[in-house]
Amino acid sequence: MTPYGSRVTNMASETSEGLLITAKSLNKMYGPHLALDDINLEIPPGAIGILGPNGAGKSTFFKCLLGLIKTTSGEGSVLGHDIRTEGDLIRSKIGYMPEYDSLDPGLTAIDQVRYSGELLGMNPDSATQRAHEVLQYVGLKDQRYRKIETFSTGMKQAAKLACALIHDPDILICDEPTNGLDQRAREFMLQTLKKTVSEGGRSVLMSSHVMDDVERVCDRIVMIHKGKIVVHRSIDEMVNQVEKEIEISVWGGASRMEQELTSIGLSVRRMGRNMRVTKVDEETYTNILSSAAKAKVQVRKMTDYEPDLEDIFLLIMDKLGEDVKETDDLITPRYTGEGP
Amino acid sequence: MKNELDISGGTTRMESAFGSGDGDDEATASVAQKAEVKASIYEQTYRPWRGSLGPRWVRNYAIFRHHVYGIFSSKGHRHYHPLVRLTILIVFLFSISPVAMLFLASLGGQGGFGEILSRMWGINRYNLWGQVLGFFPRNLCMWPLLTALVVGGMISDDRRNGTSAIYFSRPVNRTDYTAMKYLSSAVVLGFVIVFSYIVYYTSAIVLNGEGWAFLIDTFPIFMGGLIAGILLVITYTSIGLALSSISQSRFFAAVAFLAVIYGTKMVAFLIESTFDSSILYLLSPYDGLAHIGQWLVGIESNYDHPLSLSIVSILLINFLSLLLLTSRVSSLEVTRE
Repeated sequence: MTPYGSRVTNMASETSEGLLITAKSLNKMYGPHLALDDINLEIPPGAIGILGPNGAGKSTFFKCLLGLIKTTSGEGSVLGHDIRTEGDLIRSKIGYMPEYDSLDPGLTAIDQVRYSGELLGMNPDSATQRAHEVLQYVGLKDQRYRKIETFSTGMKQAAKLACALIHDPDILICDEPTNGLDQRAREFMLQTLKKTVSEGGRSVLMSSHVMDDVERVCDRIVMIHKGKIVVHRSIDEMVNQVEKEIEISVWGGASRMEQELTSIGLSVRRMGRNMRVTKVDEETYTNILSSAAKAKVQVRKMTDYEPDLEDIFLLIMDKLGEDVKETDDLITPRYTGEGP
Repeated sequence: MKNELDISGGTTRMESAFGSGDGDDEATASVAQKAEVKASIYEQTYRPWRGSLGPRWVRNYAIFRHHVYGIFSSKGHRHYHPLVRLTILIVFLFSISPVAMLFLASLGGQGGFGEILSRMWGINRYNLWGQVLGFFPRNLCMWPLLTALVVGGMISDDRRNGTSAIYFSRPVNRTDYTAMKYLSSAVVLGFVIVFSYIVYYTSAIVLNGEGWAFLIDTFPIFMGGLIAGILLVITYTSIGLALSSISQSRFFAAVAFLAVIYGTKMVAFLIESTFDSSILYLLSPYDGLAHIGQWLVGIESNYDHPLSLSIVSILLINFLSLLLLTSRVSSLEVTRE
């Protein structure tokens, strides 16, 4: 009678070997177009960033996870439920925050969130009570009786998050959660997502073009490119794989300094008075200082440069043969599929 | 993971925003004061929820309630514009206006004014048919207007606002979504069209103090009219929802519905006037229903063409509308519209 009646809150007990999502040789074709190509994946609980240019297959991947579209071949499970046959069960345990507007402008925030809870099968009283809680959690306590049509973009994003959190889902899927937000709203959204993982013990699957956002919330990334998973690793692990660099800032004679460093065989990349020198070994620090003495320039700053996720993303794109200098380049007709 | 990309040995980008000069000149720097946080009054705490989720019917009932209750109170439910609600009220009052005439007739007693009113508004085959399908302008104008107002934004609003994602990212499947939208619309239309018909019939019996013999005589006619009313609600809902599902604008859906109802009737009327043939009335949903209604209630038909063609026409109109509706609902996106 009640397919979701007995709620199990211990996530590990629901999943096979404690995994959140598994996929085996998953393929999805739209006519002749291969949208997902042999996806093999095992995602543990936590915060996971789903990266990839537009059209890479992220949305198709999400739709497969939600059990909304039939996969062409292969198998997969979310929280131990088969994505091909148990879509309803999966969606009752997932909170999905869409990228685009998905709120009724004629409703107040409290009514919208309550209704989204009722659509999950919550009774109206408990949905109302929970709507108050989650609206407070996302920072809309004082705006909950305002109509959504009067909301700013940040408030709408927060309301969408509240709708996704209404039933305390095991997995929260966020599609571009910081889209269109100003700095303050963005900070709050990221903090909220991070808190949902760290305090709430929930898992977050987040897609974003802003690498800094992903880096701040997620500990692992899955990168999709042309329907294939090209990277699935923890961010720390990837950072360790990238060549280490030492960043220096010099005053006076930066060109002389660059020549000195190059002449002793060090690889230098320069932007104005800032340079990054590839770290060969511990001797590199001494070599830099010696070169500065010879070139008669002051080294005002010398630090180990920690590559961020954007560096890694661009490096991956470079290795994949894509001419992308920064992630903003991905929002072009070539990648978005818009325009002529 | 097999075939995973090897990124070892790569170098990272240079952050271009970090420095702007060529490095060979002397530079100065200014340091901004860091903003000081004075206090915080907001504490963010994640609270888990230990409740359980209801089964499928609870979710479906939530959709139904959201749309139907909105007619009476927009607080917490789907928002209907006050003018729409006022129009629905006016249409409903017009629909039960014969009850007032019957009341006056009952006050008039036997003979005289009371009898005239009773003959005009009392229960007979023509009045029962007319209550659902016949009276102009009430039924011909008001039912389509009512349908246009109620059904116009039923699905188009979800398409425009992206609220389809709220439904389909939850365990609501497209069949349930369509069925509940259909049921909600049909119940609102049914409340005005069918309920007013039932009120009319029952109040005629009560106010005139009719007995079992009258009831036995007129009940089959009443049932014929009732079926005609239900057919009208079903057909108008099907067409209205199909038009609502193809658009992002409730205005388009409403105007398109009125255009379908009046356009087909107007064309058929002109053809009949010119060529003396009623065959084109098969294109008109209203006339198809009126033809079937006349047969169900047992009154003389106004149409030359066979009844079977009107039945096929109404079935076909409903089938095509539902086909369009289901195909357009299946195109509603969750991730992007």
